[in-house]
Amino acid sequence: MATFFVNGRSVTATKSQSLLRFLRDELRLTSVKDGCSEGACGACTVIIDGETCRACVPKTDQLEGRHIITVEGLSDWEKKLYTFAYGEAGAVQCGFCIPGMVLCTKALLDKVQDPTEKEIRHAIRNNYCRCTGYVKIIQAIQLAAKLKKEGAIPEPTETDWKLGSSVHRLDVEEKVLGYGKYPDDWYLPGMTYGSAVRSQYARARVLSIDAEKAKALPGVVAVITAEDIPGENKVGHIKHDQYSLIPVGGLTHYLGDAIALVVAEDQETLEKAKKLVKVTYEPLPAVHGPEEARLPDAPRVFDEEENNVQAYKHVARGDAEGAIAASKHVISRHFETPWTEHAFLEPECAVAYWDEDGFVRILSTDQSSHTTLHECKLLLGSEKVRVQNQLVGGGFGGKEDMSVQHHAALITYLTGRPVKVKFSRAESLLVHPKRHPFWMDFTIGCDENGIIQGVKASVYSDTGAFASLGGPVLERACTHASGPYNYQNFEIEGTAYYTNNPPAGAFRGFGVTQTCFAIESLLNEMAERIGISPWEIRYRNAIRPGQELPNGQIVGPETGLVETLEVIKPYYDAALAAGKPVGLACAMKNSGVGVGLPDWGRCKLIVEADEKVHIYSGASCIGQGLGTVLVQMVVTNTPLKREDIVYERSNTWIAPDSGDSSGSRQTLITGEACRRACEQLTSALQEKPLKALVGQEFYGEYLAKTDKLGADVPHPVSHVAYGYATQMAILDRDTGKIESMVAVHDVGKAVNPKSCEGQIEGGVVMSMGYALREQYPIDENCKPIDKFGKLGLFRAHEVPEIRAIVVDKPGLDKACGAIGIGEITSIPTAPAIAEAYYQLDGQRRTTLPLTNTPYERRG
Amino acid sequence: MADLLFPKAALVACNGGCRNESCPYGCIGCGMCVAICPFDAIAINKNGVAEVNESKCQGCGACVTECPQGIIRLHEAGSPIVVKCANRDSGKAARAACQVSCIGCGICEKACPSGAARVEDNLSSIDEALCLACGMCAVKCPRHAIYDLRGVLTKIN
Ligand code: SF4
Ligand code: FES
Ligand code: FES
Repeated sequence: MATFFVNGRSVTATKSQSLLRFLRDELRLTSVKDGCSEGACGACTVIIDGETCRACVPKTDQLEGRHIITVEGLSDWEKKLYTFAYGEAGAVQCGFCIPGMVLCTKALLDKVQDPTEKEIRHAIRNNYCRCTGYVKIIQAIQLAAKLKKEGAIPEPTETDWKLGSSVHRLDVEEKVLGYGKYPDDWYLPGMTYGSAVRSQYARARVLSIDAEKAKALPGVVAVITAEDIPGENKVGHIKHDQYSLIPVGGLTHYLGDAIALVVAEDQETLEKAKKLVKVTYEPLPAVHGPEEARLPDAPRVFDEEENNVQAYKHVARGDAEGAIAASKHVISRHFETPWTEHAFLEPECAVAYWDEDGFVRILSTDQSSHTTLHECKLLLGSEKVRVQNQLVGGGFGGKEDMSVQHHAALITYLTGRPVKVKFSRAESLLVHPKRHPFWMDFTIGCDENGIIQGVKASVYSDTGAFASLGGPVLERACTHASGPYNYQNFEIEGTAYYTNNPPAGAFRGFGVTQTCFAIESLLNEMAERIGISPWEIRYRNAIRPGQELPNGQIVGPETGLVETLEVIKPYYDAALAAGKPVGLACAMKNSGVGVGLPDWGRCKLIVEADEKVHIYSGASCIGQGLGTVLVQMVVTNTPLKREDIVYERSNTWIAPDSGDSSGSRQTLITGEACRRACEQLTSALQEKPLKALVGQEFYGEYLAKTDKLGADVPHPVSHVAYGYATQMAILDRDTGKIESMVAVHDVGKAVNPKSCEGQIEGGVVMSMGYALREQYPIDENCKPIDKFGKLGLFRAHEVPEIRAIVVDKPGLDKACGAIGIGEITSIPTAPAIAEAYYQLDGQRRTTLPLTNTPYERRG
Repeated sequence: MADLLFPKAALVACNGGCRNESCPYGCIGCGMCVAICPFDAIAINKNGVAEVNESKCQGCGACVTECPQGIIRLHEAGSPIVVKCANRDSGKAARAACQVSCIGCGICEKACPSGAARVEDNLSSIDEALCLACGMCAVKCPRHAIYDLRGVLTKIN
């Protein structure tokens, strides 16, 4: 027992528990986020006696007499100050790290009035942010310091909510002050806790499950096994091969496979009960990687499959082989890229309960509420499901699949009770699909001027224990492997193999991060061979409006690759002139699903009783700022003002399905649907004032029509739009570290330039990790061995200057010219950095993370 | 707040659990560091061992060379979680020598989320480039050999 002060109030903790659990579960101070409970992430940061401290570390018994502050306990003036500073700087994305960052800001400013940038970086260096790359958080702290000294908070610089204006994002306040709800912030009356017992072996046959002891433990509500599933056991986005629970007699596919679900009244009983579930297995030899998976006598990962090939793609146009044979210069290389963990700050969590209309209501954090709906309906064999998105603490592709949502739904469906299913950080690292590791062989042929004649490649990937989006990722890796250049002889084949490793699926860049490293590295080497600069070879080959991409698509006047090269030129020349090692790379990335798949954007504008227009679209804001984009769309395309508009988080019963937050598609596809709904609303507003429209609905939808891969037309339209980028890395010759990164992006019309910059900075820093340090090692038992704090994510004091430049070139006639930015920010970074190191030490590096750099992991 | 003008500070790897009696590795309270320090940043504390005042220390390193026991080193001044022990004896001997000695049990290594805490030669050390200053090791150490210099997670003496 201990008595201490929380936000000035004296409180007594009777049982000893971590401060984090006490603050959240007992005091319901849910601004204190649980990102790992192991001391690594910093999301739980509080202030204890003036010092920042992680709430998950000390036990309440150690805190006698201490004074603890959470953001709930800031003064009103501080609340306004930090909300303004973080909003003005554009520092808030998913928001999960933000309350912790705010407390670091306070602790710093309470001690130092005028902190230097170095002191600021130092103050937040132990707190991870996966979204922002820290750049704008540092700026927010600088601004807060200035305003604190001046003692007054001004008006935001930009208040006009039209497109092109850097207004404060609409979710800043709830995220800074921590009252916005992520699923874990819900505590429902009578809520139970659920968790899965997972396989002990990556590949084994389940012989028996004995839950009697667990069921007998007081406080245990239920133990659920495969035979209790009312609908389909196997779910999945495209291919239904993800077992919700492995049945007796069934094969396990990886260590994350769930065998039984345990439900208990409280979290402690739950942990005890999980240990009491006895499962017997027949362990079987596992498949550790593609090299093993493809052997003719390899064990099969799936009983149901003939072999371990999950997907095969072949993309060809022209005559790559002939063109290469006739080329003056030919280079062939082998490349490898690693597994990467998304490391979003919010671990997966879902809350489910029976709602007042007799539906299983799921409160989720995912990349599409409608996808969650489809998969959960499948599992329950029932239509009585509703999904409501909560705040999403980062996704980056890792929250596309079912992780906890389906289990929560199943528990409520079977027990009738509300339930929370939340992953520990270790579970999150094990269970959700990762970025695919790739092995790639590329050959490029060029003429004497460096003009690309043809490229031929063959790649394979490890897609792990279930398909997830392995097929589409492979396909995108192949279709974009050509790079954004003007040549027509291109051939690639790719294979994705099932193995008993954790699954791989979507990850920001969707396969292109991998093949871009290969093609761009080759191009850099080719430039040297020809005797021209990496910039020059790209400028000569860059795809220009009206030209034909290697996939046959003729690109439109909006194509801005050349502009990105021209904008970066002065920076490039200056760095060269200063004798600095610099590297450069380009990329393109589709916006929208493309390749002939149905790709719908849908949006409803409903005038509700409060006489405001409510925006409903079944599209997730995973931190990128979709809500703000849609409000800016409405202000631009109707006579309405910001105050007349309310953005509603995605749900499945009012908001129409607008697809996944994937493929950088929401700004363009849902943006266009929203614009169309605005046309309807605007014409209604010409007849009547807004308040006379109460109860009316205005609907817009947009089908982004494309041709399927290999369509038999002269110029298939693979994607409705592409974003283009050039990025550059400059090294410091003395330290061998990155001095600065310059990232120039063509995004069509930037809806909110500051948000857009934030996406770029975050994407660049994420891929600096990919290029230099991040790994996800897996041991001989197919077990990922690293904890969150060991992944190698960049920290605030290690991030160099990042210059994000948005080229505002008029885009398509869709969504007012806006194109998605989410993924491309991460794509050209790694090859640019690899080239910079080559310039430094003359060593060509063909694997990631790059070796022999000061960033290389020790131990 | 660490003084970033002087990012390094001296650290004495001993907290005097044996009161200069039985440990062959630890501080003997000779006071040579106290005498040499140009900034008056070291004093002998109530346990009879040298202790650095980080707000005065400018990281010059004079004491590091002076210490006859070789147990003073420079560390990142902003890194508050430190192992204050130099005893390399095996668990049993280390336990016998001192109340707050590291016995090399490895609990810190397991608790550490970032791979910073490592036990080698029966003694824990923290790689400050990797340390996230969470203090999980300090809280879990059964021997109280790891300290939070800010005094938040552990009492200083
Ligand atoms: S403070 Fe945390 S990160 Fe640093 S060594 Fe101890 S346990 Fe590891
Ligand atoms: S929840 Fe405490 S550090 Fe991650
Ligand atoms: S905003 Fe920092 S983790 Fe998302």
